[in-house]
Amino acid sequence: MKFFKLLQFLTLILLLVVNLQPLQAQGNRDFMRETGKIYVVTGVILIIFAGIVLYLVRLDKKLTNIEHQLKEGKNE
Amino acid sequence: MWWKSASVILLVYAIIAGLVVPLKPGIDHVTPDSAATGKRFDLEVHGYNTWYTRGKSTDIRAWLQYDSLRAIAGTDIRVLSDTTLQVSFDIPSTLPNEGESAMLNLIVSHPTDGVSLLPSAVEVELDTAHTSSAANWTDHPIENLHVVRDFSYPYRNVIYETIRNTYFHVPMWFALMFMFLTSVIYSIRYLNHPNEADDRRAVAFTETGLLFGLLGLTTGMLWAHYAWGKAWSNDIKQLMTAVALLVYAAYFILRASFDEPEKGARLGAVYNIFAFASLVPLLYIVPRLFASLHPGATGNPAFGSQDLDNTMRLVFYPSIIGFVLLGVWIAQIRFRILRLQQIADDQD
Repeated sequence: MKFFKLLQFLTLILLLVVNLQPLQAQGNRDFMRETGKIYVVTGVILIIFAGIVLYLVRLDKKLTNIEHQLKEGKNE
Repeated sequence: MWWKSASVILLVYAIIAGLVVPLKPGIDHVTPDSAATGKRFDLEVHGYNTWYTRGKSTDIRAWLQYDSLRAIAGTDIRVLSDTTLQVSFDIPSTLPNEGESAMLNLIVSHPTDGVSLLPSAVEVELDTAHTSSAANWTDHPIENLHVVRDFSYPYRNVIYETIRNTYFHVPMWFALMFMFLTSVIYSIRYLNHPNEADDRRAVAFTETGLLFGLLGLTTGMLWAHYAWGKAWSNDIKQLMTAVALLVYAAYFILRASFDEPEKGARLGAVYNIFAFASLVPLLYIVPRLFASLHPGATGNPAFGSQDLDNTMRLVFYPSIIGFVLLGVWIAQIRFRILRLQQIADDQD
Protein backbone atom coordinates (compact mmCIF):
# COMPACT_ATOMS: atom_id res chain seq x y z
CA MET A 1 0.00 0.00 0.00
CA LYS A 2 2.83 2.37 0.77
CA PHE A 3 4.13 1.84 -2.73
CA PHE A 4 0.79 2.84 -4.24
CA LYS A 5 0.51 5.91 -2.06
CA LEU A 6 3.98 6.85 -3.24
CA LEU A 7 3.04 6.26 -6.86
CA GLN A 8 -0.06 8.40 -6.49
CA PHE A 9 2.02 11.13 -4.95
CA LEU A 10 4.65 10.91 -7.69
CA THR A 11 2.03 11.11 -10.43
CA LEU A 12 0.62 14.22 -8.82
CA ILE A 13 4.07 15.81 -8.51
CA LEU A 14 4.85 14.89 -12.11
CA LEU A 15 1.64 16.54 -13.28
CA LEU A 16 2.40 19.69 -11.29
CA VAL A 17 6.01 19.91 -12.46
CA VAL A 18 5.08 19.27 -16.07
CA ASN A 19 2.38 21.91 -15.90
CA LEU A 20 4.07 24.62 -13.89
CA GLN A 21 7.68 24.78 -15.01
CA PRO A 22 7.23 26.09 -18.54
CA LEU A 23 4.43 28.35 -17.32
CA GLN A 24 6.79 30.10 -14.99
CA ALA A 25 9.48 30.26 -17.63
CA GLN A 26 7.25 31.91 -20.19
CA GLY A 27 5.11 34.14 -18.06
CA ASN A 28 1.43 34.03 -18.89
CA ARG A 29 1.62 32.20 -22.21
CA ASP A 30 -0.53 29.09 -22.31
CA PHE A 31 1.98 26.30 -22.35
CA MET A 32 -0.61 23.64 -23.25
CA ARG A 33 -1.15 25.45 -26.56
CA GLU A 34 2.56 25.60 -27.36
CA THR A 35 4.20 23.38 -29.96
CA GLY A 36 1.03 22.29 -31.65
CA LYS A 37 -0.80 21.44 -28.38
CA ILE A 38 1.33 18.30 -27.97
CA TYR A 39 0.96 18.49 -24.18
CA VAL A 40 -2.77 17.85 -24.54
CA VAL A 41 -1.80 14.41 -25.86
CA THR A 42 0.58 13.94 -22.91
CA GLY A 43 -2.26 14.94 -20.61
CA VAL A 44 -4.64 12.42 -22.19
CA ILE A 45 -2.10 9.61 -21.80
CA LEU A 46 -1.45 10.65 -18.18
CA ILE A 47 -5.19 10.69 -17.40
CA ILE A 48 -5.58 7.15 -18.76
CA PHE A 49 -2.51 5.97 -16.87
CA ALA A 50 -3.61 7.62 -13.62
CA GLY A 51 -7.15 6.27 -13.99
CA ILE A 52 -5.96 2.70 -14.45
CA VAL A 53 -3.48 3.03 -11.55
CA LEU A 54 -6.20 4.40 -9.25
CA TYR A 55 -8.43 1.47 -10.19
CA LEU A 56 -5.57 -0.92 -9.42
CA VAL A 57 -5.16 0.74 -6.01
CA ARG A 58 -8.86 0.05 -5.37
CA LEU A 59 -8.49 -3.60 -6.39
CA ASP A 60 -5.41 -3.84 -4.17
CA LYS A 61 -7.40 -2.59 -1.18
CA LYS A 62 -10.11 -5.18 -1.84
CA LEU A 63 -7.52 -7.94 -1.95
CA THR A 64 -5.96 -6.76 1.32
CA ASN A 65 -9.39 -6.94 2.97
CA ILE A 66 -9.96 -10.45 1.67
CA GLU A 67 -6.53 -11.51 2.92
CA HIS A 68 -7.35 -10.19 6.40
CA GLN A 69 -10.72 -11.94 6.32
CA LEU A 70 -9.12 -15.26 5.36
CA LYS A 71 -6.43 -14.90 8.04
CA GLU A 72 -9.01 -14.23 10.75
CA GLY A 73 -11.03 -17.22 9.58
CA LYS A 74 -8.01 -19.50 9.95
CA ASN A 75 -7.19 -18.27 13.44
CA GLU A 76 -10.67 -18.95 14.77
CA MET B 1 -1.21 -15.74 -21.15
CA TRP B 2 -0.30 -14.61 -24.65
CA TRP B 3 -3.08 -12.04 -24.92
CA LYS B 4 -1.89 -10.21 -21.83
CA SER B 5 1.56 -9.77 -23.38
CA ALA B 6 -0.16 -8.85 -26.65
CA SER B 7 -2.07 -6.04 -24.95
CA VAL B 8 1.12 -4.62 -23.45
CA ILE B 9 3.04 -4.87 -26.72
CA LEU B 10 0.22 -3.28 -28.71
CA LEU B 11 -0.18 -0.42 -26.23
CA VAL B 12 3.56 0.27 -26.07
CA TYR B 13 3.58 0.28 -29.87
CA ALA B 14 0.59 2.62 -29.99
CA ILE B 15 2.12 5.08 -27.51
CA ILE B 16 5.52 5.12 -29.23
CA ALA B 17 4.25 5.21 -32.82
CA GLY B 18 1.47 7.58 -31.81
CA LEU B 19 3.93 10.10 -30.42
CA VAL B 20 6.98 9.68 -32.66
CA VAL B 21 5.53 9.89 -36.19
CA PRO B 22 5.45 13.56 -37.26
CA LEU B 23 2.55 15.56 -38.62
CA LYS B 24 2.43 16.47 -42.31
CA PRO B 25 3.66 19.99 -43.02
CA GLY B 26 0.79 22.46 -42.90
CA ILE B 27 -0.04 26.15 -42.92
CA ASP B 28 -0.61 27.62 -39.48
CA HIS B 29 -1.73 31.13 -40.45
CA VAL B 30 -1.16 33.93 -42.95
CA THR B 31 -0.72 37.67 -42.59
CA PRO B 32 -2.58 39.71 -43.63
CA ASP B 33 -5.80 37.72 -43.79
CA SER B 34 -7.69 40.19 -45.96
CA ALA B 35 -7.09 41.91 -49.32
CA ALA B 36 -8.89 44.12 -51.83
CA THR B 37 -9.70 43.42 -55.48
CA GLY B 38 -7.66 44.91 -58.29
CA LYS B 39 -4.47 45.19 -56.26
CA ARG B 40 -1.25 43.32 -55.82
CA PHE B 41 -0.61 42.23 -52.26
CA ASP B 42 2.08 40.39 -50.37
CA LEU B 43 1.11 37.46 -48.26
CA GLU B 44 3.26 36.03 -45.50
CA VAL B 45 2.69 32.32 -45.00
CA HIS B 46 3.54 30.78 -41.65
CA GLY B 47 4.03 27.05 -41.88
CA TYR B 48 3.87 24.32 -39.28
CA ASN B 49 6.38 21.45 -39.46
CA THR B 50 7.55 22.84 -42.78
CA TRP B 51 11.03 22.86 -44.33
CA TYR B 52 10.60 25.63 -46.87
CA THR B 53 14.37 26.11 -47.33
CA ARG B 54 14.75 22.58 -48.65
CA GLY B 55 14.43 22.47 -52.41
CA LYS B 56 14.57 25.37 -54.85
CA SER B 57 12.28 28.28 -54.10
CA THR B 58 11.40 28.48 -57.79
CA ASP B 59 9.80 25.04 -57.48
CA ILE B 60 7.42 26.24 -54.80
CA ARG B 61 3.97 27.18 -56.05
CA ALA B 62 1.08 28.85 -54.30
CA TRP B 63 -2.53 29.57 -55.16
CA LEU B 64 -5.42 31.45 -53.64
CA GLN B 65 -8.36 29.30 -54.56
CA TYR B 66 -12.06 30.10 -54.68
CA ASP B 67 -13.35 26.82 -56.09
CA SER B 68 -12.14 24.03 -58.35
CA LEU B 69 -12.19 26.29 -61.39
CA ARG B 70 -11.21 29.69 -60.04
CA ALA B 71 -7.83 30.39 -58.49
CA ILE B 72 -5.00 32.88 -58.74
CA ALA B 73 -1.38 31.83 -58.74
CA GLY B 74 1.18 33.43 -56.48
CA THR B 75 4.23 35.03 -58.02
CA ASP B 76 7.66 36.03 -56.75
CA ILE B 77 7.81 33.44 -53.96
CA ARG B 78 10.52 34.18 -51.39
CA VAL B 79 11.58 31.77 -48.70
CA LEU B 80 12.30 33.71 -45.50
CA SER B 81 12.86 30.74 -43.24
CA ASP B 82 11.89 27.10 -42.86
CA THR B 83 8.48 28.19 -41.64
CA THR B 84 7.95 31.50 -43.45
CA LEU B 85 7.19 32.22 -47.09
CA GLN B 86 6.37 35.46 -48.83
CA VAL B 87 4.11 35.32 -51.87
CA SER B 88 2.67 38.07 -54.07
CA PHE B 89 -0.76 37.82 -55.58
CA ASP B 90 -2.40 39.93 -58.29
CA ILE B 91 -6.03 40.02 -57.30
CA PRO B 92 -8.42 40.46 -60.26
CA SER B 93 -10.64 43.54 -60.20
CA THR B 94 -13.82 41.52 -59.86
CA LEU B 95 -14.87 38.94 -57.31
CA PRO B 96 -15.45 35.33 -58.32
CA ASN B 97 -18.90 35.51 -56.76
CA GLU B 98 -21.70 38.05 -56.69
CA GLY B 99 -21.10 39.60 -53.32
CA GLU B 100 -19.12 42.07 -51.30
CA SER B 101 -16.36 39.65 -50.41
CA ALA B 102 -15.07 36.15 -51.06
CA MET B 103 -13.19 33.70 -48.86
CA LEU B 104 -10.17 32.10 -50.52
CA ASN B 105 -8.25 28.99 -49.58
CA LEU B 106 -4.49 29.03 -49.71
CA ILE B 107 -2.72 26.12 -51.37
CA VAL B 108 1.06 25.77 -51.20
CA SER B 109 2.87 23.10 -53.17
CA HIS B 110 6.45 22.46 -52.10
CA PRO B 111 8.83 19.97 -53.77
CA THR B 112 9.77 18.17 -50.53
CA ASP B 113 6.95 19.12 -48.14
CA GLY B 114 4.16 18.35 -50.58
CA VAL B 115 0.83 20.11 -50.75
CA SER B 116 -0.65 21.98 -47.81
CA LEU B 117 -3.91 23.87 -47.60
CA LEU B 118 -5.33 26.54 -45.32
CA PRO B 119 -9.11 26.80 -45.71
CA SER B 120 -10.58 30.33 -45.72
CA ALA B 121 -7.12 31.84 -45.46
CA VAL B 122 -7.77 35.24 -47.05
CA GLU B 123 -10.93 37.31 -47.40
CA VAL B 124 -10.99 39.44 -50.54
CA GLU B 125 -13.22 42.52 -50.41
CA LEU B 126 -14.65 44.26 -53.46
CA ASP B 127 -12.87 47.53 -54.11
CA THR B 128 -14.62 49.42 -56.92
CA ALA B 129 -11.88 52.06 -57.09
CA HIS B 130 -9.40 49.63 -58.64
CA THR B 131 -10.56 48.14 -61.91
CA SER B 132 -7.30 48.16 -63.83
CA SER B 133 -6.00 44.67 -62.97
CA ALA B 134 -5.51 42.43 -65.96
CA ALA B 135 -5.57 39.29 -63.82
CA ASN B 136 -8.41 36.86 -64.22
CA TRP B 137 -9.83 34.22 -61.87
CA THR B 138 -9.59 31.43 -64.43
CA ASP B 139 -6.07 32.17 -65.67
CA HIS B 140 -4.19 29.82 -63.36
CA PRO B 141 -5.70 26.42 -62.83
CA ILE B 142 -4.21 24.38 -60.00
CA GLU B 143 -2.13 21.66 -61.59
CA ASN B 144 1.18 19.81 -61.33
CA LEU B 145 1.02 19.58 -57.56
CA HIS B 146 3.97 18.01 -55.79
CA VAL B 147 2.77 14.70 -54.48
CA VAL B 148 4.99 13.59 -51.60
CA ARG B 149 4.55 10.18 -50.05
CA ASP B 150 5.77 10.01 -46.48
CA PHE B 151 4.89 8.39 -43.21
CA SER B 152 3.07 11.09 -41.29
CA TYR B 153 -0.25 11.99 -39.72
CA PRO B 154 -2.63 14.50 -41.30
CA TYR B 155 -2.27 18.14 -40.36
CA ARG B 156 -5.47 19.88 -39.22
CA ASN B 157 -5.77 23.44 -38.05
CA VAL B 158 -6.94 24.02 -34.48
CA ILE B 159 -6.30 20.43 -33.39
CA TYR B 160 -2.67 20.20 -34.63
CA GLU B 161 -0.78 17.49 -32.69
CA THR B 162 -3.86 16.50 -30.71
CA ILE B 163 -4.91 14.39 -33.70
CA ARG B 164 -2.77 11.80 -31.87
CA ASN B 165 -5.48 11.62 -29.21
CA THR B 166 -7.36 9.47 -31.73
CA TYR B 167 -5.15 6.60 -30.56
CA PHE B 168 -5.94 7.09 -26.88
CA HIS B 169 -9.31 8.78 -26.44
CA VAL B 170 -11.27 6.88 -29.11
CA PRO B 171 -10.15 3.33 -28.08
CA MET B 172 -11.64 4.06 -24.63
CA TRP B 173 -15.07 3.95 -26.25
CA PHE B 174 -14.29 0.85 -28.26
CA ALA B 175 -13.13 -0.85 -25.07
CA LEU B 176 -16.25 0.39 -23.25
CA MET B 177 -18.52 -1.05 -25.95
CA PHE B 178 -16.69 -4.38 -25.81
CA MET B 179 -16.87 -4.53 -21.98
CA PHE B 180 -20.57 -3.65 -21.84
CA LEU B 181 -21.38 -6.06 -24.67
CA THR B 182 -19.56 -8.92 -22.91
CA SER B 183 -21.27 -7.97 -19.67
CA VAL B 184 -24.75 -8.08 -21.20
CA ILE B 185 -24.00 -11.46 -22.78
CA TYR B 186 -23.11 -12.85 -19.34
CA SER B 187 -26.24 -11.26 -17.88
CA ILE B 188 -28.39 -13.02 -20.48
CA ARG B 189 -26.59 -16.27 -19.75
CA TYR B 190 -27.23 -15.72 -16.05
CA LEU B 191 -30.94 -15.23 -16.64
CA ASN B 192 -31.13 -18.44 -18.68
CA HIS B 193 -29.16 -20.56 -16.23
CA PRO B 194 -28.52 -18.74 -12.95
CA ASN B 195 -25.00 -19.34 -11.70
CA GLU B 196 -22.79 -17.11 -9.62
CA ALA B 197 -19.82 -17.17 -11.99
CA ASP B 198 -21.73 -15.53 -14.87
CA ASP B 199 -23.13 -12.90 -12.53
CA ARG B 200 -19.65 -12.08 -11.26
CA ARG B 201 -18.37 -11.84 -14.84
CA ALA B 202 -21.17 -9.44 -15.70
CA VAL B 203 -20.29 -7.27 -12.69
CA ALA B 204 -16.56 -7.33 -13.50
CA PHE B 205 -17.07 -6.36 -17.13
CA THR B 206 -19.55 -3.60 -16.27
CA GLU B 207 -17.15 -2.11 -13.75
CA THR B 208 -14.27 -2.17 -16.24
CA GLY B 209 -16.51 -0.67 -18.91
CA LEU B 210 -17.45 2.12 -16.54
CA LEU B 211 -13.75 2.75 -15.85
CA PHE B 212 -13.14 3.17 -19.58
CA GLY B 213 -16.20 5.39 -19.83
CA LEU B 214 -14.92 7.72 -17.12
CA LEU B 215 -11.47 7.81 -18.72
CA GLY B 216 -13.02 8.47 -22.13
CA LEU B 217 -15.12 11.30 -20.76
CA THR B 218 -12.22 12.91 -18.86
CA THR B 219 -9.78 12.66 -21.77
CA GLY B 220 -12.54 13.99 -24.02
CA MET B 221 -13.00 16.98 -21.73
CA LEU B 222 -9.28 17.74 -21.75
CA TRP B 223 -9.21 17.50 -25.53
CA ALA B 224 -12.38 19.60 -25.82
CA HIS B 225 -10.87 22.32 -23.66
CA TYR B 226 -8.14 22.86 -26.22
CA ALA B 227 -10.08 22.07 -29.39
CA TRP B 228 -13.59 23.42 -28.70
CA GLY B 229 -12.58 26.10 -26.18
CA LYS B 230 -14.44 24.68 -23.19
CA ALA B 231 -14.09 21.39 -21.34
CA TRP B 232 -17.85 21.04 -21.01
CA SER B 233 -19.90 22.83 -23.62
CA ASN B 234 -23.12 20.89 -23.07
CA ASP B 235 -22.56 19.31 -26.43
CA ILE B 236 -25.15 16.64 -27.24
CA LYS B 237 -22.45 13.96 -27.44
CA GLN B 238 -21.08 14.92 -24.01
CA LEU B 239 -24.54 15.08 -22.43
CA MET B 240 -25.73 11.75 -23.83
CA THR B 241 -22.46 10.07 -22.81
CA ALA B 242 -22.84 11.38 -19.28
CA VAL B 243 -26.41 10.02 -19.20
CA ALA B 244 -25.22 6.62 -20.45
CA LEU B 245 -22.53 6.46 -17.77
CA LEU B 246 -25.06 7.41 -15.08
CA VAL B 247 -27.36 4.64 -16.30
CA TYR B 248 -24.50 2.21 -15.76
CA ALA B 249 -23.52 3.73 -12.42
CA ALA B 250 -27.11 3.07 -11.30
CA TYR B 251 -26.50 -0.64 -12.01
CA PHE B 252 -24.17 -0.84 -9.01
CA ILE B 253 -26.49 1.18 -6.79
CA LEU B 254 -29.36 -1.14 -7.74
CA ARG B 255 -27.36 -4.25 -6.92
CA ALA B 256 -26.12 -2.86 -3.63
CA SER B 257 -29.65 -1.97 -2.51
CA PHE B 258 -30.71 -5.60 -2.14
CA ASP B 259 -30.00 -7.54 1.03
CA GLU B 260 -30.32 -10.88 -0.73
CA PRO B 261 -27.49 -11.19 -3.25
CA GLU B 262 -29.50 -13.52 -5.48
CA LYS B 263 -32.33 -11.06 -5.93
CA GLY B 264 -29.83 -8.29 -6.64
CA ALA B 265 -28.08 -10.46 -9.20
CA ARG B 266 -31.32 -11.28 -11.03
CA LEU B 267 -32.60 -7.71 -11.11
CA GLY B 268 -29.11 -6.48 -11.95
CA ALA B 269 -29.02 -8.79 -14.95
CA VAL B 270 -32.39 -7.53 -16.16
CA TYR B 271 -31.33 -3.93 -15.61
CA ASN B 272 -28.08 -4.58 -17.48
CA ILE B 273 -30.03 -5.60 -20.57
CA PHE B 274 -32.06 -2.38 -20.43
CA ALA B 275 -28.90 -0.34 -19.82
CA PHE B 276 -27.22 -1.86 -22.86
CA ALA B 277 -30.32 -1.26 -24.95
CA SER B 278 -30.15 2.42 -24.05
CA LEU B 279 -26.38 2.66 -24.55
CA VAL B 280 -26.33 2.45 -28.35
CA PRO B 281 -28.97 5.16 -28.93
CA LEU B 282 -27.38 7.39 -26.30
CA LEU B 283 -23.84 7.14 -27.64
CA TYR B 284 -24.36 6.73 -31.37
CA ILE B 285 -27.88 7.61 -32.52
CA VAL B 286 -29.15 10.62 -30.56
CA PRO B 287 -25.91 12.66 -30.98
CA ARG B 288 -26.23 12.32 -34.74
CA LEU B 289 -29.69 13.86 -34.77
CA PHE B 290 -28.49 17.17 -33.36
CA ALA B 291 -25.74 19.61 -34.18
CA SER B 292 -22.59 18.58 -32.37
CA LEU B 293 -18.98 19.69 -32.23
CA HIS B 294 -17.89 16.07 -32.04
CA PRO B 295 -16.72 14.38 -35.26
CA GLY B 296 -19.25 11.88 -36.48
CA ALA B 297 -22.17 14.20 -35.79
CA THR B 298 -24.98 15.10 -38.18
CA GLY B 299 -24.83 11.99 -40.28
CA ASN B 300 -21.11 11.83 -41.04
CA PRO B 301 -19.34 8.70 -39.97
CA ALA B 302 -16.70 9.55 -37.37
CA PHE B 303 -14.04 7.65 -39.26
CA GLY B 304 -14.45 8.95 -42.76
CA SER B 305 -11.41 9.72 -44.84
CA GLN B 306 -11.42 13.24 -43.34
CA ASP B 307 -10.56 12.06 -39.85
CA LEU B 308 -8.53 8.92 -40.34
CA ASP B 309 -6.03 8.18 -43.07
CA ASN B 310 -4.19 4.96 -43.80
CA THR B 311 -1.14 5.94 -41.74
CA MET B 312 -3.34 6.53 -38.72
CA ARG B 313 -5.08 3.17 -39.16
CA LEU B 314 -1.70 1.48 -38.62
CA VAL B 315 -1.68 2.82 -35.06
CA PHE B 316 -5.40 3.22 -34.40
CA TYR B 317 -6.47 -0.40 -34.83
CA PRO B 318 -3.60 -1.90 -32.77
CA SER B 319 -4.39 0.62 -30.04
CA ILE B 320 -8.06 -0.46 -29.98
CA ILE B 321 -7.10 -4.13 -29.73
CA GLY B 322 -4.53 -3.30 -27.04
CA PHE B 323 -7.00 -1.41 -24.87
CA VAL B 324 -9.71 -4.05 -25.31
CA LEU B 325 -7.30 -6.79 -24.23
CA LEU B 326 -6.14 -4.66 -21.29
CA GLY B 327 -9.80 -4.25 -20.33
CA VAL B 328 -10.40 -8.00 -20.47
CA TRP B 329 -7.33 -8.45 -18.28
CA ILE B 330 -8.57 -5.93 -15.70
CA ALA B 331 -12.07 -7.46 -15.78
CA GLN B 332 -10.57 -10.91 -15.23
CA ILE B 333 -8.69 -9.69 -12.15
CA ARG B 334 -11.88 -8.05 -10.86
CA PHE B 335 -13.74 -11.32 -11.45
CA ARG B 336 -11.17 -13.30 -9.49
CA ILE B 337 -11.36 -10.83 -6.60
CA LEU B 338 -15.16 -11.21 -6.55
CA ARG B 339 -14.73 -15.01 -6.41
CA LEU B 340 -12.19 -14.75 -3.59
CA GLN B 341 -14.53 -12.41 -1.74
CA GLN B 342 -17.23 -15.10 -1.92
CA ILE B 343 -14.82 -17.73 -0.57
CA ALA B 344 -13.80 -15.43 2.28
CA ASP B 345 -17.43 -14.60 3.06
CA ASP B 346 -18.43 -18.28 3.04
CA GLN B 347 -15.64 -19.06 5.49
CA ASP B 348 -16.96 -16.65 8.12
